[in-house]
This record gives sequence, structure tokens and C-alpha cells, in this order.
Amino acid sequence: MLKYIVRRILVFVPTLIAITLLGFVIMISAPGDPVERMVSAAQSGGEIGTQTANQIEQKKFWSRKLGLDLPIFYFSLNTLAHSDTLYRIYDRNERSALSRLTNQYGNWSAISAYFSAIDALNQAHSSLKVDSSMAAGYSLDEVKEDVNKSYFESSALKATYSETVINAKLDALDEIYQAPYMSSFRDKLSVVREKLQAVKETATPWKVYVPVVNFYPQNQYHRWIFGDGNWLTGKGSEFTEGVIRGDFGTSYRTKMPITEVIGIKIFWSFFFTVVSVLMGYLVSIPLGIQAAVHKDSRFDRISSIIVFILYSIPGFFAATVLLMTFANPDVLHWFPASGVEPVQGFGVDAGFFERWSARLPYLILPGISYTYSSFAFLSRTMRVSMLEIVNQDYIRTARAKGLAENAVIYKHMLRNALLPIITVFANIFPVAIGGSVVLEVIFTIPGMGNEVYQAIVNQDYPMVVAVLTITGILTLVGYLVSDVLYAVADPRISYGK
Amino acid sequence: MKEKVQINQFNFRQYAWSQFKKNKQAYFSLWVLGFLALVALLAPIIANDQPLYCNYKGHTLFPAFSFENTYELKMEDGSEEKIQLDIAKWKQMKLESVIWAPVPYAPNKSDFLNADFVAPSGKQYFQDASGQMVDMPSRFRHRLGTNKKGEDVLSGLIHAARISLTIGLIAMGVAAIIGLILGAMAGYFGDHKLSTSFGRFWVFVLGLPFAYYYGFMVRSDALSDAIGTSGGAFLVQLMISLVLVAVILLAASYLGKLIGKLPLLNWKKNIPVDALVLRMIEVLNSIPRLILIISIAAIAKPSILNLMLIIGFTSWTGIARFTRAEFLKIRNLEYIQAGQSLGFTEGRIIFKHALPNGVAPALVAIAFGIASAILIESSLSFLGIGVPPDVVTWGSLINSGRENYSAWWLVIFPGLAISITLAVYTLMGEGLRDATDPKLKT
Repeated sequence: MLKYIVRRILVFVPTLIAITLLGFVIMISAPGDPVERMVSAAQSGGEIGTQTANQIEQKKFWSRKLGLDLPIFYFSLNTLAHSDTLYRIYDRNERSALSRLTNQYGNWSAISAYFSAIDALNQAHSSLKVDSSMAAGYSLDEVKEDVNKSYFESSALKATYSETVINAKLDALDEIYQAPYMSSFRDKLSVVREKLQAVKETATPWKVYVPVVNFYPQNQYHRWIFGDGNWLTGKGSEFTEGVIRGDFGTSYRTKMPITEVIGIKIFWSFFFTVVSVLMGYLVSIPLGIQAAVHKDSRFDRISSIIVFILYSIPGFFAATVLLMTFANPDVLHWFPASGVEPVQGFGVDAGFFERWSARLPYLILPGISYTYSSFAFLSRTMRVSMLEIVNQDYIRTARAKGLAENAVIYKHMLRNALLPIITVFANIFPVAIGGSVVLEVIFTIPGMGNEVYQAIVNQDYPMVVAVLTITGILTLVGYLVSDVLYAVADPRISYGK
Repeated sequence: MKEKVQINQFNFRQYAWSQFKKNKQAYFSLWVLGFLALVALLAPIIANDQPLYCNYKGHTLFPAFSFENTYELKMEDGSEEKIQLDIAKWKQMKLESVIWAPVPYAPNKSDFLNADFVAPSGKQYFQDASGQMVDMPSRFRHRLGTNKKGEDVLSGLIHAARISLTIGLIAMGVAAIIGLILGAMAGYFGDHKLSTSFGRFWVFVLGLPFAYYYGFMVRSDALSDAIGTSGGAFLVQLMISLVLVAVILLAASYLGKLIGKLPLLNWKKNIPVDALVLRMIEVLNSIPRLILIISIAAIAKPSILNLMLIIGFTSWTGIARFTRAEFLKIRNLEYIQAGQSLGFTEGRIIFKHALPNGVAPALVAIAFGIASAILIESSLSFLGIGVPPDVVTWGSLINSGRENYSAWWLVIFPGLAISITLAVYTLMGEGLRDATDPKLKT
């Protein structure tokens, strides 16, 4: 037995790694630039296409804080043409333009020289002082507009990779620099042109077809799992302690640590899951037993039909119909339509009993809907597993030795029929973390399911991935526990060999 | 000439079919499903706002069947009239003779006169050919009411049947292919039966990154440009990439065969297929299906096809498990051993001889899988995740009813449609199970 558990845990580790990898892949392939998102959340406004020095600083900070300045994984497959430092460019558009240019021309050093020439041109704008003394005979507005235009075009050049567009942009800049007050930019632009020419002349496109593998001990995945401090002890971590120490990062939406959010939200999901499973068991076990024992009786047929009908009706449809009927001022307004407690909250001195009696009307409809979904499933499972046992030899033996029918049913059959249902209980934690997304959204329950829904609608991917990873880990633990419980409950199951 | 000998032997397929037919519920479900499929197939003829046939100023037109969107009609006085089929107000035109579709409305076109939740039995208005507002003639009534935008619910229901049924087919098609292949290999080879030379194994494993590199990394720009242009262009580029991958893997395989003959590299290497497949199943099963699917659907572009593929790629585990269990039994039977002793390739034995006999339990899993795929799709479109907002599905109809709980017709009818479809597939799954495996009969 012990040997089995040890072996089971050994297999557990690669599966766990696979789950974290799955979550990680979903997180990094999410659309949108998280750095952009955090910066624009921190400060909105500013002219389009321009970046203040402050914004650039912010971007650098956030890309360091979110760990995006690191390579993605322990190793990367790359082309000989690419530099392995491309990930250090924090701007997503710039990075993609650089990568595409490299794919076209295959000479990284020339391309990076070309980019630094553009950078030099771009930075010249900030040292330029625009005043009326600059150009006689031109209005200040005209000068300002030209400077802005030039800045805009040169910034856009960094995100451009198509040859025709690059040439068009360079020509546009040329035209702007015809004006006498822009003369200082002319030679900078000619450097850019020179470098671009160099890129084209020294092009080595064959390099794109040669693969190279790079290794990185420090990378985003490592940081996500182990934090940015010491990987074993977690000491010296600056921004994150890593998933291994329960730090899933910060939610984009609420700006709170994700574990904290889960701690708050899990209560209602857990509450409803436990209530529904318990209620489901209370009804479905006796029902399944009666139906199986009196197979093909009228009771069996009618209950089977009812359970089947319930089984076919999706939970969200049933819940909507319940709301439509019992929380609708036009029909029956017995229950409130959303939430789990009165909006105005409770008085300071409201006791436990007072609070729950005020909550009760809010809990009835969701409670029914939750129970409903588990009930249909449990009764069917129960009936089938009882039926498999009814014809077993040992049941016949029990009857033959003259045991009372009730003793046969409840002592010999029930215990064995319960086995498949143990699995449901082992999974109660992961189910609660995932919450019932649909039901919680319908009833506006502030639980995990609703949180996942909000996270997805608001593109809060760290939250989604955290829930995915935690449920995965907990389910695996649940499997382990239920396997062990099986072995304990059923002596026929042996894991020795 | 060899004569075909007719042997009166037990035919499993005929036996299963006769068993299935005896199960009245399952047989009836098959008919209901056939009816649903017919409705889905004929949806544009059953529910369409353009007439099936009409005669307009001496021209005989078949707008509902037309592939072009504009008619250019030459009038008798020499003038020309242009009709744009999808925006023409057919019901207000002076048509000499006309045959309307049984439901004369399209699923996502608004009838502004009857917007804002008009009940099936409520007062409905109609604008006749002279522009007069009159009571709705019974031919044009919205028989199941309208939603907030004035879209006909019945027409939406009929067209959404297409989506639900194709979701079941395509998602489960993908899942069945993956599940059958992986399950069959896991069950047939187990952990010890598939072995190759050390050299060939590692050459093939090394070939994988090369295949990925030349298939996808080198072509990444072409692929991402194609996504931007159109789905068709992307499919073409994807096919090119896949062909490249296949060619490189084949080359690696043959190169490996040669290298594997060298001394030291010709040691036997076991490939634990079963353990690998079981781990994959465990990973997928450990994450709640709906959460996994909405997470992936949230990062993918919202489209019905993407949703089908996502559901398919995450739903193969049940099929694989059943197939694996069946193959564990089959691999020790005499006819497999006969095949092996005749020197058939493993591929031929698995796919030609064993799979047709081992497919029955997978069929049951597929029938149940279709039901759960439809349930997942309707839950997602109910939540509005992964489905484009302009596509009408049963789930999105129910969702539109949540704005106004008095509009019961928006909830009840699509809900019943989902429930009936789910029930039909479940009954068929049970019928199949009973017919193919009498031991499990309950």
C-alpha cells in the first residue's frame, strides 16, 4: 500500500508540471500587451503615438515587475539570424517589427544598428527646443506641427517592417526636413538611410533556415513557478514568491493578490457546492436504491423518467425558468432575483442567526439550482451502480443465508454501490474553486465562478490561469485521496502489484 | 473464378442494429434526430425573409435560392431596376404572385415594427404594400414572438439548430479521431509492446523540433499574415506547414531506420505508449472541462469553428479510455495473433482489423460526448464567451431573455430545443450501449 502511494506520488509530479505548463502556455498566448495595459491603467491620456519619458520608465518598470523582460522558457529554439536578446525589447510592436525584419534580411547586427540610428533620430526631438527664434518667417504652430509629425513618423518607423512602408515613411520625413528649421535632422535621417542600405547589402537570409537552441536558467516560467528570489527558500524575492509558495501574482482587474481574491470569493462557491452535494446525496441515494431494488416496478419506471427528464434539462435553463417564475414581479415575487444577502448589508450588531435568516430567501433559488444539477447525475450513477451489484453472487449468498432484506440492501449492497460516489466527494474542493460559472453568473453570487467569468470578460488572465492551475492540482490530490480511500473501503482492490 | 461463399454466421453489426431497433426509445430518438438534422439542413428554405418564388413586374424570381445578392431587372419601358436581395423589403413590394418560406423571417434581421419583446399571442403590426400600418396578417405572424431587437424567435431557433448539430458533429469528429487513435495505440501496445532501436527513437525525437522549426517557426510571418487576411488563406498556409512537418518527420523516420542498424545504436528501446496517453488523459481530466474551455476560448478569436475545435481537442479523453479498455481485450485474441504471424504491419492490424471490432464502446462515448459538447456550447453562448455576438444560437436566445423575465418565449422555446436534443443523444447513447454490450444492460 505504502509502495503504491509512493509510486502514485512520483507519477503525480510530471502531471503537475504538465498542468502548470498548460496554464503558462494559455497565459503567454493571451492577446494584448499586459505592460501596455498596466501603464494605461496607471495613467491615461497623453498624445497618441507619443511616449513621454515617464511612460517609458513606467513600461520598463512593469515589464520588470511582471517578469516580461525575461526569456519565456528554459530553452528556446531560434534561428541563427535572430539575436537571443530580442526579448529584452519591452515594446511589443517594436519587438515584432525587429523580428520580422530579421526574418527578411537575416543580419541581426546591421538591423540593430539601423534601429539605433532611428532611436538617435527619435531622441533628437527631446533635445530640440521649439521657440520663435528657430525660424524666421514661419509661425510657431507650423514649426510645432512639423516637429510633432516628424516625431510621430520616426516612432512609427520602429514598428514598421515592410520595405515599401519604410521607404514611404523615410520619404515623408525627407519632405518634412526640407523646411529650414528642421535642418538639424537631415544628417540623422541620412544615417538611418545608410544603415538601411547596409542592412540590405549585407543581407544573409540563409541564416533564417539554421536553427539554434539557447538555454536560459532565468526565465518567465521559472520565475512564475519559483519566484524571483532564491528558488528553494524564496528569500530575496522582489516582486513574486512563485506559484510553489502560493503566490499567483496580482489580478489585473482588482489589483489585489490573486490568492487573497480566492480566499474571499471561495466561501459562497464552497457553501453552495457542499449544500448541493449533501442535499443531492440525501435524495438520490434512497431513490437510487429503491429504483434498483424494485427494478422495472412502476416506481422505478416513473422515477427513471423523471430523473432522465431532469438530466436532459441544462442547469442554466432550469435556473432561468426558476428566476422567471419565482423572482418576477409579474408572476410570483417570492424571492429576490440576485445576490446572496440584502444590498443594504446588516446592522453592526446583527447576530449570526439574524444574518442567516436575512440571507435565507436569497439562498433558496440558487440552492435548488445547484442541487438540481448534482441530483440528476447522482441518482443515475447510484441506480446503475446498484444494478450492477444486485445480481452479484455475494448478494445471492447473503439472501440465501436468510438475512433480512433490509440488511442485505443496506449492509451488503449499499457499501459497495457507494464506491463510485466517493469520487464525487474527493473532487469537492476543485469543484468549489472552479465554482459553477453559469449558475453564479445567473444568480450574481459573489463566488469563484462569477470571478472567473468577470476575469475572462475583463481579460484578467493571471486570475484565469491561477484558477485553472489550482483546480488542476486539487483534482490530482482528489484522485490520489479517492484511490487510497477505494483501497481502504474495498478489500478487493489491491494496488500491490 | 472464386465463388463468394455465403456463410450463415453471426454478424455483430446486424445483431447490434436489431437490438438497437428493439429499444423503442433509442429508435424513436434516431427519428427525432433525423428530423432535427432535416430542419437544420433545410433551414434557409424553412425560415427565410426572401420569397422562395415570386413574380415581380413580369420577372420570375427565386430570391431564396439565388447565389448572387443583386438582381438587375430590365423593365418593359427600357429602364433598369436593381434589387439587393438581403436588404430589399420583400413584404412591402408589389409582387404579382409569391410563395413565402414557411417562416418568412431571417434569424438576425430586425422587424422594427415588432421590436421590444412582442409575445407570440401579443399584438403584432405589419406594413402592407401601400405603406399602411395594419394588424399582422396571420401568414406573417411571429409565431414564437420576437426579442428586443425585433428578431423572429422561431427563425432563430431553426437556424440555431444548424449550429448545435454541427458543433456536435465537428467537435466530436475531432475528438473521435484523436481519441480512437490514441486509445487504440495505448491499448494495443501497452507499455512494452512498441519498441524500436535506440538510434531510430532518438533520431525521430530530434526530428520533432526540426519539423516544428521548419514547419512553423520559419513560416511564422506567413502564417500570422494569413490569419489577418482570411480563414481560407490561413488554412492554405497551415496545410503547407503541416506537409512540411510530415515530410521532415518521414525523413527522420527513414534516416533513423538506417542509423538504428549501426552497432551500439541498435539496442532495443521501449516506448511506454500507454503511460504517456494515460498521463495526457489525467492532465486534461484534472481541470474542469468548462473552465478549461472558457479559458482557451477567451484567448482565441471568437468564432463558432474555433469553439468546435477547442471542444474537440479537450473532449477526446472518454473516447480514448473506452477504446483503450476494448483494445486491452482485443490484443490477445486469436485473429490479432494470426495477423501478427502473417507479418502484417502493426498499423494494418490496428486500423484495419482491430479498430472496426473495437469501435462499439467508443460509439457510445461519442453519443454521450455530442450531448455534452452541445451543452457546453449552449452554456458558452449563454455566457457570451467564444461566440461572435451576431450569431444566433439557442444559448444566446436564452441569454437575451434574461433582460426581460416577462419574455418567457425567449427562454422556454430554446431551452426546450436544447433539452430535447440532449435527451435524444443521451437515449441514443444508452440504446447503443445496450445494443453493443448486453452485459451493461440496465
